[in-house]
Amino acid sequence: MLSPKRSEALAGYLFILPTFIGFAIFILYPLVESLRISFYEYSILGDSYYVELDNYSRLISDSRLRKTYGNTIVFTGFAVFFNAGIGLLLAVFLNRRMPVLMRNFYRSAFFFPILIAHTYIAVIWQYLYQQDTGVINYYLSFLGVDPIPWLSHPAWAMAAIIIMDVWKNTGFAMLVFLAGLQSIPHEYYEAAQLDGANERQLFARITIPLLSPSIFFILVIFMIGALQVFDSIIVLTDGGPGDATRSVVMYIYQQAFQRLDFGYAAAVSWTLFLVIMAVTLVQFLVSRRWVHYE
Amino acid sequence: MIAQTKAPFTAGREIIRQSRKPLKWQDILSYSVLTLAALLVLMPLLWMFSTSLRPLADSYKLPPQWLPTDWRWENYLAPFESNVPFELFFLNSLKIAALTTLGQLISCSMAGYAFARLRFPGRDLLFMFLLASLMVPGQVTIIPIYLMMAELKLVNTHASLILPALISVFGVFLMRQFFKQMPQELFDAARVDGAGHLRSFVQIAVPLAGPGLATLGIITFNATWNGYFTALIFLTSWEKMTLPQGIALLTGYMNSGNPSVVMAAVGLAILPVLLVFLVAQRWIIEALTRSGLKG
Repeated sequence: MLSPKRSEALAGYLFILPTFIGFAIFILYPLVESLRISFYEYSILGDSYYVELDNYSRLISDSRLRKTYGNTIVFTGFAVFFNAGIGLLLAVFLNRRMPVLMRNFYRSAFFFPILIAHTYIAVIWQYLYQQDTGVINYYLSFLGVDPIPWLSHPAWAMAAIIIMDVWKNTGFAMLVFLAGLQSIPHEYYEAAQLDGANERQLFARITIPLLSPSIFFILVIFMIGALQVFDSIIVLTDGGPGDATRSVVMYIYQQAFQRLDFGYAAAVSWTLFLVIMAVTLVQFLVSRRWVHYE
Repeated sequence: MIAQTKAPFTAGREIIRQSRKPLKWQDILSYSVLTLAALLVLMPLLWMFSTSLRPLADSYKLPPQWLPTDWRWENYLAPFESNVPFELFFLNSLKIAALTTLGQLISCSMAGYAFARLRFPGRDLLFMFLLASLMVPGQVTIIPIYLMMAELKLVNTHASLILPALISVFGVFLMRQFFKQMPQELFDAARVDGAGHLRSFVQIAVPLAGPGLATLGIITFNATWNGYFTALIFLTSWEKMTLPQGIALLTGYMNSGNPSVVMAAVGLAILPVLLVFLVAQRWIIEALTRSGLKG
């Protein structure tokens, strides 16, 4: 008979066992294995050769990789900025005094696109973005805008992807910011108003500092997500025209699963891992200076 | 006494209201921005819906009819009659999402319970270890997983999508939060009554974790239902493919894609999501926000 303490420990290990089996097979082992593969010229059918750092030196001279990283960084910068910015704006407006029914309607409308697959959204927007038959250019023509080559011009294609991303995801930022705003005690505003603070001061001195944990959370989550962008682009532009909108993950996908160059793809995937880790760590370090936890 | 305590409170309110009065234009501004934003969000969805009901010949008509004059509901049958096996895509997605969700509900609630309520050596260290792996992007692990599945002859089977998704670190974290909130007295009482750890888990913890399980279930089901990256990698033959793949196929290089038919297909794919959202939206929003904020 086991002592209660021991049986509790045994139960604990048994309860976490399924998760750790899956974790070992599908996260830990692949993580180590992908690092190993990145030192090989890996072949799925024939022999694989140990090539030392060849795959990594190839990274440096690979102009397509540079291009895809450039695209990914441009996308990440704009998408995070507009998702967070517009999300904050909507949340601040929604947090004003208004009938509950209205607030719920707006909130639901902004939130719903989050639940829809990127694939479907890209399929819908592909029609909307058409240069001659698309609804967007049709309505823009009333503003005197000439038909925009949304999907066939490099810069416009990138803009098209960013707009679609903000359309889909800004609702999540709105939701998190709104929850953050609603948790700020009303007394703070009332006290500051009695002291004669104006709306701008209230926003800068109370809202932003007390919302900083939510802002930090959104920046981290959105940045990590944007660096891994794939689904929406592959359906909307397939990386085109040329490589103008190809993301790093699309490049990994192409190298691994279309060219079967697994060793090089693994090396590229590790650069992405390191970038994501670096971005996360930097944000955590910087956040100490500006995020106020209560 | 009551009047006295109330008076300063209402007086305070009055000051706020007065200070807001001259700012009336701000209300107009905020309503206009919100309404414009809501219109911009809803229009692509409305376009999808109205296009799906238009006669095929009118698909490209400009200006677009926002409300179709004659409602062609039979467009919704067209995907099933197209040259791709649409009903199979639907069933495949349903099967993969259901099995994945079931697996995660079991594995995540068990591990979440252990990390929240049981004491064992190394518990916190193991939990930190799990959490750290959240930083690993799926693109790093997918290559070895693919090679593993190729070795096991599991490429182009649904198992290749389901097996790796039976566990979820995020799900463990989420369930741990829910189990942590439960009062210890419940479990002490069960212990006194002679319940073992398995019984405490099955008969006390799980029934109380309903909201947590539902949250995890909805998040996982939706993510799997919408998943594209792994499906694109593993599933190569039509009869194995999922709905997002199928719809991309319907639109893309197949070019069987009349917009009305494609939009009907998209409508069918979004329908389950929309139904769940309408039934449980307030509660999904609350759960997502809370879990997100603490995640």
